[in-house]
Amino acid sequence: MDPTIKDFESASAELEAIVKKMEEGDLTLEKALELYERGVQLSRFCHAKLEEAERRLEILNERGELRPAHAAMGLTPSDESGKAR
Amino acid sequence: MPGLFDEPFEDVPRPRDETAPVRARRRVLTVSDVTAEIRTALESGFGELWIEGEISNCRVWNTGHVYFTLKDPTAQLKAVMFRTAYRYLKFKIEDGLHVVARGRLSVYEPKGEYQLVCEHLEPHGRGALQLAFEQLKRKLHAEGLFAADRKRPIPALPRKIGIVTSLDGAALRDILKILSRRHPNAHIVVRPVRVQGEGAAEDIAKALKAIASVPGVDVIIVGRGGGSIEDLWAFNEESLARTIAACPVPVISAVGHEVDVTIADFVADLRAPTPSAAAEMVVTAKEEFHARIDRLHGRLQAAMRSDVQRRRNVLHVLTSRRGLAGWHVRVAMQGRHVSELTHGLRRATTALIARRAREHQARAARLEARDVRRGLAAIRARLAAAETRLHVVAGRAHERAAARFTALAGRLDTLSPLAVLARGYAVCWTEDRTAIIRQASAVAPGDLVRVTLHEGEIDCEVRSAHGSDH
Repeated sequence: MDPTIKDFESASAELEAIVKKMEEGDLTLEKALELYERGVQLSRFCHAKLEEAERRLEILNERGELRPAHAAMGLTPSDESGKAR
Repeated sequence: MPGLFDEPFEDVPRPRDETAPVRARRRVLTVSDVTAEIRTALESGFGELWIEGEISNCRVWNTGHVYFTLKDPTAQLKAVMFRTAYRYLKFKIEDGLHVVARGRLSVYEPKGEYQLVCEHLEPHGRGALQLAFEQLKRKLHAEGLFAADRKRPIPALPRKIGIVTSLDGAALRDILKILSRRHPNAHIVVRPVRVQGEGAAEDIAKALKAIASVPGVDVIIVGRGGGSIEDLWAFNEESLARTIAACPVPVISAVGHEVDVTIADFVADLRAPTPSAAAEMVVTAKEEFHARIDRLHGRLQAAMRSDVQRRRNVLHVLTSRRGLAGWHVRVAMQGRHVSELTHGLRRATTALIARRAREHQARAARLEARDVRRGLAAIRARLAAAETRLHVVAGRAHERAAARFTALAGRLDTLSPLAVLARGYAVCWTEDRTAIIRQASAVAPGDLVRVTLHEGEIDCEVRSAHGSDH
């Protein structure tokens, strides 16, 4: 992915700013095209970012070790209720 | 307190018995002895007491012991609370506090003062915890720990969500349920911790620090389910409040039910009324995000489309104006203008040279006629020079004109009639090349004619001539 796009947060904020700027108009054609292109990139990035992470549940124990929750708690990651014991 | 002093002390003789003659029977006590006996009498005579009063002159010594005076409108009682007892007090002793103290009377022998050794204090008319809560709230508020400008924003899409709570509680179950519904692919790190009982606040603080240092954790939910004020007490402890305030990652507090408000809620970056609410706050539903980005994308495209449309309109307006309409016609006309100019220039140049030559001849004639002897040679020389210059000037003018003409002619080449020759046509002249022969009737057999071809000319003799229209 584009290294100039940091995270979802800044990407969606930048996209918002670009849309505002373009809606105000008053840009050169080059600038408008440049912004549009950037905007499309950002919106793609955001959609991708939303789907990117996979559901994970980890337990940080007293010793500072991260363990998958199902191993630590006897849960499966699909255990929606997060059954406590 | 009747009885205490009425009862004779066993080993003390009657001091007032002046009549006793035997001096040897008189028992003299040291100050220490009597003080010790008073002390014993006080300690055993009174036992445990509950005393209501107002605190004044309260001082915490660096030993950790607290000295104060209990008073009411007409009396005062000195009191001390040793560090070992004071440690268990939830609130802080303050002057003006109306309290009920539990303790025993004793004597501070070096000073001969009796005092209450206080084992426990309760605020009068309200709970100790309530008071402690109010005191800490006031203190931290004064330090600015609750200030709105200290609150950090919760990231819109956290990379990892940290949760500090009990593994057994309903809070965790509720949070996980909401998270998995709203954002199925969230990454969650749980740090299990004891949330009530002695030392729970310190454990929670430790857990907060640990989870804040896990790479990627950019928001932490700390909390527990509902309970009594004692159950929730850890979240009202100063140590935890300070840890939350100092946490490098934004913290959402989620303690108990909607009505339960703790100190942790005040220092946290965001207070959630319940653990479930915290989960809802921490993740905007994924679908909502997609929709938001889609809306922005739609607006982006609309803006681009309208931008292009606007430019198209502007272009249309410009090209339909007189200035640009039929520009190609104007270009063609411009070409014709150039060729006319060229002809004019050529004619003008020739005329100029002819005029100058005539003037020159006239001058020369005049000079000769005047027969000027003196300076004739000089005049002749000037004349010669002028003549040369004239030629040079005229020549240059002509050259320039010719050069321009050649350039223009080159551009106009396609229009030139001579260009036709290249396509195989020929021009037929009279022998002296003064006129072009256009009709057969202009010549008779035996006449000589000259024919110009694309390259070179040929002399020809007419053998016969046939009229085309006769």
